[in-house]
Amino acid sequence: MRDFRQASIFVTPAAIIAICISALPLLYIFYTSVEGPDFSLGSYISIIKSTLFHRTLSTTMVIAVSSSALSLLIGYVIALHLARQPAKRRAFLLILVLLPFWTSVLVKCYAFTIILGRTGIINSALDAISGGQLSMSLLLNRTGVLIGMTNYLTPFVVFPVLASLLAIDPAVYRSASIMGARPARIFWTVTLPMSVPGIIAALASVFVMALSFFIIPALLGGPRDAMLSNLVDFYTREALDWNTAAAIGMILLGMTLIVVGTVYARNRRAAL
Amino acid sequence: MKKHVTLSRRKVLAGLTGAVAAPMIIRPGSALAQSNSMTFVTWGGAYRDSVVKGVIEPFTAETGIEVNIVDTPDLAKVKAQVMTGNVEWDVFDAPGAMGASGEKEGYWEPLDESMLDVDDMTLAPTETLMPFYTWAGGIAWDADRFGEGEHPTTFAEYFDLEKFPGLRTFRDRPSETLEAALLADGVAPADVYPLDVERAFAKLDEIKSQVASWVSATPQTIALLRTGEVDFSYTYASRVRTTGAQSESGNIQFSFDQTLNGLEYLAVVKGAPNKENAMRFLEFAMRPEIQAATMELLGNAPVSKSAVPMLTEDSQSWLPDLSDPDHLVLNDAWWADNFEEVSRRFKEWVLI
Repeated sequence: MRDFRQASIFVTPAAIIAICISALPLLYIFYTSVEGPDFSLGSYISIIKSTLFHRTLSTTMVIAVSSSALSLLIGYVIALHLARQPAKRRAFLLILVLLPFWTSVLVKCYAFTIILGRTGIINSALDAISGGQLSMSLLLNRTGVLIGMTNYLTPFVVFPVLASLLAIDPAVYRSASIMGARPARIFWTVTLPMSVPGIIAALASVFVMALSFFIIPALLGGPRDAMLSNLVDFYTREALDWNTAAAIGMILLGMTLIVVGTVYARNRRAAL
Repeated sequence: MKKHVTLSRRKVLAGLTGAVAAPMIIRPGSALAQSNSMTFVTWGGAYRDSVVKGVIEPFTAETGIEVNIVDTPDLAKVKAQVMTGNVEWDVFDAPGAMGASGEKEGYWEPLDESMLDVDDMTLAPTETLMPFYTWAGGIAWDADRFGEGEHPTTFAEYFDLEKFPGLRTFRDRPSETLEAALLADGVAPADVYPLDVERAFAKLDEIKSQVASWVSATPQTIALLRTGEVDFSYTYASRVRTTGAQSESGNIQFSFDQTLNGLEYLAVVKGAPNKENAMRFLEFAMRPEIQAATMELLGNAPVSKSAVPMLTEDSQSWLPDLSDPDHLVLNDAWWADNFEEVSRRFKEWVLI
């Protein structure tokens, strides 16, 4: 009870801001999605029947899953490397992870168009090496979206994974190697299982973020890479159908809540 | 325990009151700004510079009314402003379909036709929309790569993959694209509306595999031609003219044999805080000398008939001859009624 009381003091200002800034507008979005006082599920029904929605939903899932998996792979390797560095060196290397993390996503997207474009750095280099034989289409397609999203999401993997790697007691490693385990064995039986909480935290946050990406598919993707938030943008600005836009927003929120809820339930079970 | 709950509730209430009161405190600002200013929402970049030089500077010089410029006309923001009764914009620079859907939704103030010289206009104003200029969309190619007879000049040829093989572009929206398909399929320009959507999609199926890019940003229609990523492109006369002049590479040409002509409107937002100034602005923008000066910079076709002879000869050569029945003028009212449904189908069709 005492814990709860203390927690409520610290959480109250954040809660007030959260209620004013997100909960109230969210309620209004819900209200719009059911067409206000009419309380009609018409928008939801027409979305569920819409082929455009189905296709965009599957694109969203494919992109979210693959970019989460890619950023987990890359982020885990980085975190593993960082965890093995002496503290001073780690602090410096962390800045290298943080720099792109602090850079605006818009700036990063434009930087990628310079690197990935048809006459960009990569293709000019390929061109020079192969004498005009080789070129890769890296922009305005799925590849571009995945590169952009993985770049954005990787730091969000590095931090929680690094935290759980650093929390492993070095004595465990020592005892494993005294017992004769080789590095690979130590990784599979000690490091990986003990970093699972970090992996799950990272995956959940990265996947939730990936679900609602907007600017990266809009700038680096083609028409086939439109995600749910791009569909919301279409209904808001082009079709001016705010009921449908709100309903898609609510569905997206529902998907996020399912992911967060699953992780929360798992953590509770693990804590018991 | 209880103490904390009441405390937080009070804070919530205070926060709520603040949030509710904020617009009321903010609002008088715009009321103060009345009388001697107005807000004009228009497009950014070179377009904005042309409009400032052509219309806004002489308008302010004559009337003393300061014009605040906001970039990017967005109908969703008009909807939000009109819905909440918190209108900040006065004049809205609306492309055809956007203007027509705004009219359908009742977002614009009715025009006073007596202030306009309707006889001088190539296209009549509607109840709320004043035509500002027309733009011409059509087929472009790089003349260094394709000589006479090696490139399409009409939409029928643009869809003819046997005679003119190569990659093409289209916009990522059904308007313009469906019209082009129907013209290509042999529909006379006069019979294009109401659009036969089935027939248009059937015709588009023939060419889909050769459409390398469904372009969302207009500059791309030229950029893709320049880099050789496509062979022929659907683009705009004004774009070819302005970028062609600056180009050091390539020799982009535009066909005036057949064009799709769209309207750009000026409209006054319903409940505009400076409605009177806004109406004066519309009247001013239609004066032949202002139309001529602005279109000279923008590269589009003036709506004022008497402005045409005031243009330089070079500018006149960049205008389509709309009396030629091969050209089509887009029907914005049809799109206002059908945009959502057809767009959804178009987006699905592109995805498949």
